[in-house]
Amino acid sequence: MSATVPLHRVNVLTGIKSARQIEDPAEYGKLIKKAKRPLLVLGPLLLKWSLDGRLLMEYAFEIAKSASIPICATAHVKGKMIEAGVKPDSEYDVVEIINALKDPDWIGVKKEGNHDLVIFFGIRSDFAEQGLSVLKHFAPHLKTMTLCKFYFPNADYSLPNIRKDEKWKEFIETLIANLKEKE
Amino acid sequence: MAELKEIKRKLEEIERLIRAEDLWEPVGHTPMPEIPDLRNWDMRLLKTYKPFYAPFCDLCCLCTFGKCDLTEDRRGACGIDIATQQARMVLLACLIGCSCHTAHGAHILDYLIEKHGPDKKIDLGRMIELEAPNIRTVLGLKPETLGDLKIAIEYVYKEITHLLDSAHTGQEGSYLDFESKALHAGMLDHVGMEAADIAQIVGFGYPTSVAETPMVDLGWGAIDRTKPVILVVGHNPATSAEITDYLRENNLYDKVEVGGICCTALEATRYSDRAKVVGPLSRQLFFLRTGIADVIMTDEQCIRADTPIEASKAGSALIATLDKAMYGLPDATEMATEEIIKQMVEEKKHFAILDPGKAAEVAVKVAMKIAPQRKKEWISEEEAKGLAERCTDCGMCERVCPNLFSIGDGITEIAKNNNFDLIREQFNLCIGCGKCEQECPREIPIFKIMQTAASKESWKIRSGRGPIMDTEIRNVGASITLGTIPGVVAFVGCSNYPDIEDIAEMVEEFARRKYIVVVSGCAAMVAGMKKDAEGKNIYEKYPPDFDAGGVVNVGSCVANCHISGAAIKIANIFASLPLRANYEVMADYTISRVGACGVAWGAYSQKAAAIATGCNRLGIPVILGPHSAKYRRLYLSRKEEDDWRVMDARIKKIVDTKEPSPEHLAYVCETKEKVMVTIPKLCIRKNDTPQGRAIKLNHYISLYKKYMGGGLPEDLHLFVRRDADIPIVYKKEVRVYLKEIDWKPKEPVGLPTMIGTYPTKVPVDSVIH
Repeated sequence: MSATVPLHRVNVLTGIKSARQIEDPAEYGKLIKKAKRPLLVLGPLLLKWSLDGRLLMEYAFEIAKSASIPICATAHVKGKMIEAGVKPDSEYDVVEIINALKDPDWIGVKKEGNHDLVIFFGIRSDFAEQGLSVLKHFAPHLKTMTLCKFYFPNADYSLPNIRKDEKWKEFIETLIANLKEKE
Repeated sequence: MAELKEIKRKLEEIERLIRAEDLWEPVGHTPMPEIPDLRNWDMRLLKTYKPFYAPFCDLCCLCTFGKCDLTEDRRGACGIDIATQQARMVLLACLIGCSCHTAHGAHILDYLIEKHGPDKKIDLGRMIELEAPNIRTVLGLKPETLGDLKIAIEYVYKEITHLLDSAHTGQEGSYLDFESKALHAGMLDHVGMEAADIAQIVGFGYPTSVAETPMVDLGWGAIDRTKPVILVVGHNPATSAEITDYLRENNLYDKVEVGGICCTALEATRYSDRAKVVGPLSRQLFFLRTGIADVIMTDEQCIRADTPIEASKAGSALIATLDKAMYGLPDATEMATEEIIKQMVEEKKHFAILDPGKAAEVAVKVAMKIAPQRKKEWISEEEAKGLAERCTDCGMCERVCPNLFSIGDGITEIAKNNNFDLIREQFNLCIGCGKCEQECPREIPIFKIMQTAASKESWKIRSGRGPIMDTEIRNVGASITLGTIPGVVAFVGCSNYPDIEDIAEMVEEFARRKYIVVVSGCAAMVAGMKKDAEGKNIYEKYPPDFDAGGVVNVGSCVANCHISGAAIKIANIFASLPLRANYEVMADYTISRVGACGVAWGAYSQKAAAIATGCNRLGIPVILGPHSAKYRRLYLSRKEEDDWRVMDARIKKIVDTKEPSPEHLAYVCETKEKVMVTIPKLCIRKNDTPQGRAIKLNHYISLYKKYMGGGLPEDLHLFVRRDADIPIVYKKEVRVYLKEIDWKPKEPVGLPTMIGTYPTKVPVDSVIH
């Protein structure tokens, strides 16, 4: 439970169950490492946004690689991934992957069972918030996490609102370093 | 026994209303259907296209039991759960939308009946004999006069009351039944729209039975600011038609400028090609704040609730012309005209005037008197820079922007570098809500700064032409149902876009590929707001015919009924299937054989929800833009797992096609690129011939390669039935892929139908023509 107000007010708190705001990348890392079948869902903003001149998509690849997390490419992300030499493990649009994740018996993108932690990164915040609402209400079998610099009330775990990109970059880089560390 | 008597009485009443004894076609199974009558059809659709809910809120706040927390399987005090609550909200949205169109129809019908009498014949020109496909299909009535349209309106009124009743606290406890009711409301909406638009065409003499309608001016830059300017905003054309008449009768048309925003603008240009379209809904607040309009006239629906405040700030006079929005203004309908004018000019008072003729006269006279005093200049770039320098880049504007822009960056670019490029770009993308300005702690007039930067470019738009002609349907019916015209794509709805240029690009892409493209409402406006290198927009580049590669503007919001109407016409005119009170057969034909798809990229209104849901019941899939996730509900399938069985009507056997066509009924895309590949897929139908399927897959693959970055779609194999379905251009590549995944050919279905796969009174034979 958190009283944090989202940066984008379109994501207003509209209920009683809201995301745990986590500022410590080590805690995020721990949650990711603890997951048995995590999934990283990548959105089209990763192709637009950059931190210090480095496209956010590259950070996403590093996160996936560091923790061996399968990638689901949404919207038109797949083409750019392939250009960058990374093949996504699956290609679904956001509503499609969420529709599949809702089903506890879904086989998952690796055909090893549904995922227990789904990490969303690079989806426009109002759209992502609605998608997270679906999973909050209809997918009690999994947890959700976001990596964008906004607070997402409908996720289980969210970053706080981060005003300065340097701080966000530091979070992501520390998280990557943390994921690379062996237990 | 008493129940049987009641059923018999009801049936007799329906037979009387629809003149069942007129044998233009036999009366089908569902004349004037009530809530349960098409429920089995709905349940069949919902079995494959399951409702997908994205709750906007964890709570229900509708009654005094609450607020009730509906998280984690909790139920409200009335027993409702979160899914059912979402479905109830969807039903309410559809009812609001349906009510708007139907009440619009009722108002305009009363107005026109007063003018022309109830016996005025419905005549849509020599190319249109099937004048009212929705009314004929749903009610079983062939309307012959304006008075007959009232039967349709009154039927919709009655059904709306029953549907609204069901949304009361408690009662309905099934989300599927709420969805069935929402689908019912959506279907009724198309009846209400059709009654409204037929009345308008007949009563106002709008163009009909013609494709080549006039080209009219579009864009706020097209308004001649040297003249008195009257701005009409909303949807109801009674007042704008009266203004035109008054100007014509008094020889003033050259002296006064009439422009419109939203659908009233489109209606005004159907009545007079000298009226101008200022722009879509997203330009409303911006234009109001320019102060260009001397008189603003609001009617109904998509008008701002704060228009009186904005009018006063801009120094414009305001007349509210309909009871739907009277803004607390004094009702001057009975007041002497000269006294109203005096008070508006001298005391700057706003009024409600519910007599369209009187409102028009007042508007013209007031505009002519106050125009000379209007301040016609805007702030200079230098002044804009001065205002921008007050910005502290606090980020509040960004927090509230529904389109998630960094407005602050645009403002600081002006302040620091005297660079207006970013704010100009933001103006183009702006959906015009004004929240940024409201929130600014430094009270920076962001819209004023945007005025300085905004392009004054203008364009041409073809005015709305109403129904698709029967002759056009005869020409294209075979090609659409065989698949050789790859699809009919309708870009409809409002202007809550992620990017305003998307629509023009999408229209261009599909017109170029020889789809039939239909546009309406605000989408029809923004479709024209982009020029190519030669300075031409889509209306200047593509023919206005309902044919491969044509771009057809049907008109305003209520003209959307002509899109659903075209699907019904294909079944009735081309396939010769009786439509009278035969909704299931028409809908089944559409979903099985008519490759049509709607795109409501900027949908915001409850009307858009109703229109889309009506299309869904008729078997037309709809793609929505990212903002539309806030409608809370989609209809999605899981393509590899859902029920794709159909009846093969030729052999009377149920066949599992395993083919997800169409894959979804209501779907949201995040980006334009994704829409580009979703449209061709949603136009695939089980009835496609090998040649037609190959054409459709050719577009699916080539658009996938263009917008998704190469390769083949991962679900391609689901749509290839036999080798002949593979497009020649991609034969080699697709064969390699199919071999890799061990694809096996399937027999196409002779005559696919959903009839026979669910309990219905409709015999399978009724789909055979």
